[in-house]
Amino acid sequence: MYENTSQTPVRDLLQSDRVTPATRTALTERLAQPPVTEPQFFTQDEFVRLQRVCDRLIPQPDDERVDLAGPIDERLANGTTNGWRYNDLPNDGEAYRLFLTGIDQAAEANYDRPFDALTDEQQADILLLVQQGEAPGPVWQQLPADRFFEELLAEVVEVFYSHPMAQEKIGYTGMADQTSPPAPLLHKERGVEH
Amino acid sequence: MTNNDIADAVVIGTGAGGAPLLARLAMAGLKVVALEAGKFWKATEDFATDERAQDFLFWNDERLSAGNDPMAFGRNNSGTGVGGSTLHYTAYTPRLQPDDLQLRTDFGVGEDWPLDYHQDIEPYYDELEAFLGVSGPSPYRWGPARRTAYRYGPLPVNAAGRLMEQGCREVGIQTSPAANAALSAPQFQEGYGWRSACTNRGFCQAGCNNGAKASMDVTFIPLAIQYGAEVRAECFVTGFERDTSGHITGVVYEQNGETKQQLTRNVFLCAGAVETPRLLLINDLANRSGQVGRNLMAHTALQIWGEFDDETVPWRGIPGAIISEDTHRANGLANYPGDFVGGYLLQSIGVMPVTYASQMARGRALWGQDLHDAMSRYRHVAGINILGECLPYAHNYLELSDEKDSRGLPKPRVHFSMGENEEQLTSHANQIMRDIWTAAGARNIWAFPRNAHVIGTARMGTDPDLAVVDPDGRSFDVPNLYISDNSTFPSALSVNPALTIMALSLRTADKFLNGLSTTH
Repeated sequence: MYENTSQTPVRDLLQSDRVTPATRTALTERLAQPPVTEPQFFTQDEFVRLQRVCDRLIPQPDDERVDLAGPIDERLANGTTNGWRYNDLPNDGEAYRLFLTGIDQAAEANYDRPFDALTDEQQADILLLVQQGEAPGPVWQQLPADRFFEELLAEVVEVFYSHPMAQEKIGYTGMADQTSPPAPLLHKERGVEH
Repeated sequence: MTNNDIADAVVIGTGAGGAPLLARLAMAGLKVVALEAGKFWKATEDFATDERAQDFLFWNDERLSAGNDPMAFGRNNSGTGVGGSTLHYTAYTPRLQPDDLQLRTDFGVGEDWPLDYHQDIEPYYDELEAFLGVSGPSPYRWGPARRTAYRYGPLPVNAAGRLMEQGCREVGIQTSPAANAALSAPQFQEGYGWRSACTNRGFCQAGCNNGAKASMDVTFIPLAIQYGAEVRAECFVTGFERDTSGHITGVVYEQNGETKQQLTRNVFLCAGAVETPRLLLINDLANRSGQVGRNLMAHTALQIWGEFDDETVPWRGIPGAIISEDTHRANGLANYPGDFVGGYLLQSIGVMPVTYASQMARGRALWGQDLHDAMSRYRHVAGINILGECLPYAHNYLELSDEKDSRGLPKPRVHFSMGENEEQLTSHANQIMRDIWTAAGARNIWAFPRNAHVIGTARMGTDPDLAVVDPDGRSFDVPNLYISDNSTFPSALSVNPALTIMALSLRTADKFLNGLSTTH
């Protein structure tokens, strides 16, 4: 069924008449969004560390990268949420900051080096300890590690798979939402009524 | 109407609980105003086929989730905007079965409803299904025989539905196309115009963009406006003015940063089972029974996912195409004996990509290359889930926390832990669904535990010491306050709540109007 051999099937679709204006606007704006380089919520150090975390959670090729840490920084700077949080976690911004401190503590405890100085594999090992609730360091006495990891992973994954470039990788083409003929009769009939 | 005119009724919330009665009252000639916290969208122009862009449909003010099985809110089960949660419901509209109303009689636990199916609910189902344009099979296999056929035949069955049919056939479970409040043929809707037939876009949960789905914004709201109702969007209700006799005389709300008040003779509170009790608790209102916020229930809604050799294109088609109610009671299937109170329905499910990825993150905790590998098979995924009974427990309740939201109001904290009955029921369903999916050829089967639909936080009953509202939805404590939403349900039901919320909404409106005509 799925026989589109283009390397950029979603981007091709967005250029076609098979996408409604609302959908095209949402996706082309997301595609055009430049990566965040100057964080508004995190410090530069925190932001770079978060970028490393995102790279471990969702490895990406160098030539086509979806900015994952940027939208998280934007959300936290705007103070918006997804509508709920675990009662035993602090507010989202504080939880992220504690996490970024905590993985540094865990890196120092296990490797005598800060997180940023670890190899990719070592960073992944630290994240695995967080996911399992076994990371060393005082932060983890106040931040439930496994709960926060779930929240972090869900947010990163949602940012990634919302992006047209990620959707191309999984063969998703549901944004082709323009039916033919478009919007039959609706407005015309409403006019007839009066 | 100005704020100083006295409305006959102010309706707070425009979802499945508020919109039907708003229309009913307007058609009876009453001066009615609806106050809705969210915006008034024009779905045909504003709604994108994109989950992230549609985040605005969800109630994203933070709620605190406590207990052993903390409830997800936001996208999981709460909406905002004119139309409320119907903007993102899947339009799944099974009828309750009469025995759903008598759990206590049948099992000695839970609660009976003070209502009779044939007298109090069935006539409204008949009316609603025709008005909304529900597409479904006639006859329908389970429950009392229908008096009329569904207005339209069932919607096309997607891959998940076909696989469920196949798997169920092999394990000996009966299936049927499901009833969905989405059109399988165009329908003219009074006050709105033509609603198109469903295009199988599969984005019901992110908002329908062509009017096919019977959300309130394309059905009862335009009808209400046609008959003179005023719908004020982006109005967040914070409190009430009352006279010395305890009657409400005005509704206080915030609009564009300004505090306003609408004078009124009656109030219909229809803000859903979180915001309704929250508003009552904040104002210490209608809670002589102490039951506001108590008896919180949520449907058991375990999902089973699997990957199939053939492509399923899981975002296509009405998500819940196929149903089985053979599990409506534990003794429904001879080869699957169960031991629990109540029962559940089985449903095939499609899924949008971000929702699926997010659930993989939470449910399977996959990341790195493992996540890429699993998501590379997204086009081969299909799901099946349940919607099941939940008993009320003292340990499940909503309270006000000490944390404040951006308006300075306390955030709600919701405690939820499954009880033994929910564990037993879910475990029964887990086995059955895995067997169905295995028989259908699924690989990499995994389970996503979930609870959805908050219910019961302002329960109806006949005893003012044990219930918040009477069987008509009227507050025992505040004579001109009515509640119409899923917070009044005495029990959770083994079906999705939307159609029943609408039925009770129309019934409350009729009872209220009857009261007016007998007193004047």
